[in-house]
Amino acid sequence: VNTWGEHLTTALLGTRRRAVPDLPEGASGGGDPAGRLLDQAAFLTLRRRAGRPGGRAEPIAPAPAETAPIVGPPAARRLRQILGGEHGRLLPEWLEAAARSGLRVPPRSLPELLDKGRADRALRPAIARAAGRRGVWLAMRNIDWAYLVAAGDGDAAQDPEHWETGTRIQRAAHLTWLRAADPARAVATLRTTWATDSAPDRTLFLGTFEKGLSAGDEEFLEAALDDRGQDVRRIAADLLARLPNSAYGRRMADRARTCLRIVRPDAAPDTIDVHPPDDHDEAMRRDGIPFHAVERIGTRAGWLREILARAPLPIWAEILGRTPAEIVRMPVADHDARTALDVHLGWARAAVRQRDPEWARGLLNADVLLGGSEIEILAGLLNVLPAGERDREAATVIGRIGNGPRPELITLLGSVPGPWAGALAGAVIAALSAGARVPPSQGLPGPHTDLTELCRLADERLSPATAPQVDEIAQEHPGTRALTDLARTLRFRRDMLTELSA
Amino acid sequence: VLWCPTVAARLSVDADRFAHVIERWGREQVLGLASDVSSADAAEKVARPAKWSATGADECAVWGLCQGSGKSAYRTGVDLSEPAFTCSCPSRKFPCKHALGLLLIWSDGAVGEGTPPAWLAEWLVKRQQRVERPRTEPARDPKTAERREQRVEGGVEELDQWLRDQIANGLASAEKAPYEMWDDIARRLVDAQAGGLAGRVKAMASIPAEGDDWPRRLLEEYSLLRLLTTAFRRQEELPEPLRATVRSHVGFTVRQEEVLNGERVRDHWYIAGSLDSEQDGLTTRRVWLRGQETGRPALVLSFAPPGRPLDASLVAGGTIDASLAYYPGSQPLRAVVAERHGAPAHRPPCGTTVEGLLREHAEALSRDPWLDRWPATLNHVRLATAGGRSHLVDAEDAAVPLRGQTPWRLLAVSGGRAVTVSGEWSTRGLLPLSAWHDEEGLVVL
Repeated sequence: VNTWGEHLTTALLGTRRRAVPDLPEGASGGGDPAGRLLDQAAFLTLRRRAGRPGGRAEPIAPAPAETAPIVGPPAARRLRQILGGEHGRLLPEWLEAAARSGLRVPPRSLPELLDKGRADRALRPAIARAAGRRGVWLAMRNIDWAYLVAAGDGDAAQDPEHWETGTRIQRAAHLTWLRAADPARAVATLRTTWATDSAPDRTLFLGTFEKGLSAGDEEFLEAALDDRGQDVRRIAADLLARLPNSAYGRRMADRARTCLRIVRPDAAPDTIDVHPPDDHDEAMRRDGIPFHAVERIGTRAGWLREILARAPLPIWAEILGRTPAEIVRMPVADHDARTALDVHLGWARAAVRQRDPEWARGLLNADVLLGGSEIEILAGLLNVLPAGERDREAATVIGRIGNGPRPELITLLGSVPGPWAGALAGAVIAALSAGARVPPSQGLPGPHTDLTELCRLADERLSPATAPQVDEIAQEHPGTRALTDLARTLRFRRDMLTELSA
Repeated sequence: VLWCPTVAARLSVDADRFAHVIERWGREQVLGLASDVSSADAAEKVARPAKWSATGADECAVWGLCQGSGKSAYRTGVDLSEPAFTCSCPSRKFPCKHALGLLLIWSDGAVGEGTPPAWLAEWLVKRQQRVERPRTEPARDPKTAERREQRVEGGVEELDQWLRDQIANGLASAEKAPYEMWDDIARRLVDAQAGGLAGRVKAMASIPAEGDDWPRRLLEEYSLLRLLTTAFRRQEELPEPLRATVRSHVGFTVRQEEVLNGERVRDHWYIAGSLDSEQDGLTTRRVWLRGQETGRPALVLSFAPPGRPLDASLVAGGTIDASLAYYPGSQPLRAVVAERHGAPAHRPPCGTTVEGLLREHAEALSRDPWLDRWPATLNHVRLATAGGRSHLVDAEDAAVPLRGQTPWRLLAVSGGRAVTVSGEWSTRGLLPLSAWHDEEGLVVL
């Protein structure tokens, strides 16, 4: 008989309804029943607490051995600061720098780190690279961190089962992996379900063609131009425009040829004469040239821009008989004030799309594209150039925009990814210095809002080697909070990267 | 008396047993001293080495001059043993941003070792004299004490009757009972100046909502309370240490001066961890210690209103050479740090096995049956599971359950391998607070 159980039952029902059980070891039987029950229960409670034996439990299988060493103590301390919210935006940079040096996150910080990845998908690849095998081992034990198990070694993404039965995201992940490993097989796999996939699925899947795009994809993309889904058609046309030797490229080249030709006026240099198409037809629509341009320009100008932006760039050397650098400097016969801009913008978009450094260089040097709304295309052209050249050219462009943090500069730099080094860093520092000298205007948008904005852009992108220079500017203008913050961030990043350098 | 090598002669008997490495505090710990968020923000702005000159640190103090907005620099000093602060700035905040900023750059490693300047040494000496000066408090009126005694007796009688009523009528109704049922009697116990009893009763109100096991736990708690009321009524028959234990559980407090005048135990105390809890507008910090030579356990309590900084002088994972003064009782546990003999060191603690812990706890219960928490350090334990609950299992395959949520950090650090874990043991399981790992050293959980 379970003595404790009897006492508990009696206590639940009440000693008015049920007699107090006997307890030979118990206290003297004096007092009222309720008191006696409590006294006996106290005895049993203490006996049980004091007599508690050790239990049995199954140990958790240990984590696999690691190959990568843990980061040093200063880096580990800094990671804790970042995870604690101090300069939290620098977490991806910390992780990438650690992974580059072949180091991994200290295990004690893994729980907070994996929690961050739960909320922020963009962080996950960086986490997977720096979390080590311990990270994956830990993630297997917590459903909230399961994303790392999939990202860790790509096992899940590689499983063909995911393609057949997975969710839209899992299927896209499988296709992305396949696209990187074997683009042709990815096309073959996609064909197996293409006819029955929904339009949003098809849009997502076709987006994976961005990677490993080649002539082998042409047939599939050409067919996709007749897809039921508008977004699918748009993506297919944009992808084909990156394949100059395709049938699409040839169709576009034929249209382009009728648009531009050379005229030789008397006693004047060779000039480009522009004839935008007179009509829009079904074939143009099929190739991704909409009737109404997205921009608020005339329909014919809109068609012209689209055709030039999609035609293979090599045809111009052949039609106009010059190098890209010469072509972009040729005068354009003005039908109206915007014609030259339409032509140059079309070429610039083609140069960005076809990633053609020679055209990008030519357009940047010729300085033909400077104006409020076209500033972003300049950033696009800069990003086509190799890193060192990009920084030099960017500095030149900034010099043309003018001194100080203007809105145009913010727009331009907003589209130029970090790290900003060399001449570009110098130009940004000059702009900061110029901006800091302008007295603040009471709460109105103006140079100071732009300075704040520039500081915000610079804090993750500007090379941390510039920390001393920015520090100097910040100390000359102690009242400018944005500058002080920027100087702090740069110092923080410089120390962080030093700690993590192998 | 605070012993500090910068002001007193180095008369430490065994200070050289430790490497004299200055143990810097972590950033979080420093910012934890800030009285509010804006102080912490302001401190970060001051925490730039460029703003500071003539900085230095030794085992028990950090100092430096901070360039303020005016011409002259502020003199800032921190006595690390308490910690205590001094600054010549006019701020009313305590600690001021300069003191915190100084600690931040020290924490970052930007302050070198040095010898304290005269102004700092003077302040430290003054502080020491102040600590040494005995505080004279007016003697308590014997009549007041007598009146209190009678009130508490009344409260104890009332509680005893209430407990018996609960049992006579049956506990089954407790499941649906409103909190007021416990709050009413708790309030009457507060009025009767039996704060210890009131706290125990209040804590019971949540038991019926905490799972199927509630009847067992409620009966256990009621029966131990009844044991306490009985013991209090018969206190004259009890040996003095046990009588002191009973009276402290009922709510009688002992003045700290009396405690300091009592028995002291000098040891190297491992700080197993600290826990903050809030009740009735007061935050209580429990810091668990374990003497590394004597093996004695100790609990240091500190209190503060919510949002105010608590005593941060005992940092988890450190080992301090100090003399502790215990509150009287049959199982001495609560203590105050009476005297420190050197700076904290970092080294792995001595622990025991699961069986060792359970035996020690049983012995402690035999001296104080109302004991509900106990410091534990277990050697060579691995994380394990049984019945969906986390456990620690030792080298002899004996396991104890863990309290609280899955200890992710402990799992991450151990990687499923053996570590030394310290925490707070109670009948509901072990709450892990700190761990020692062979490679990673101390990990605060």
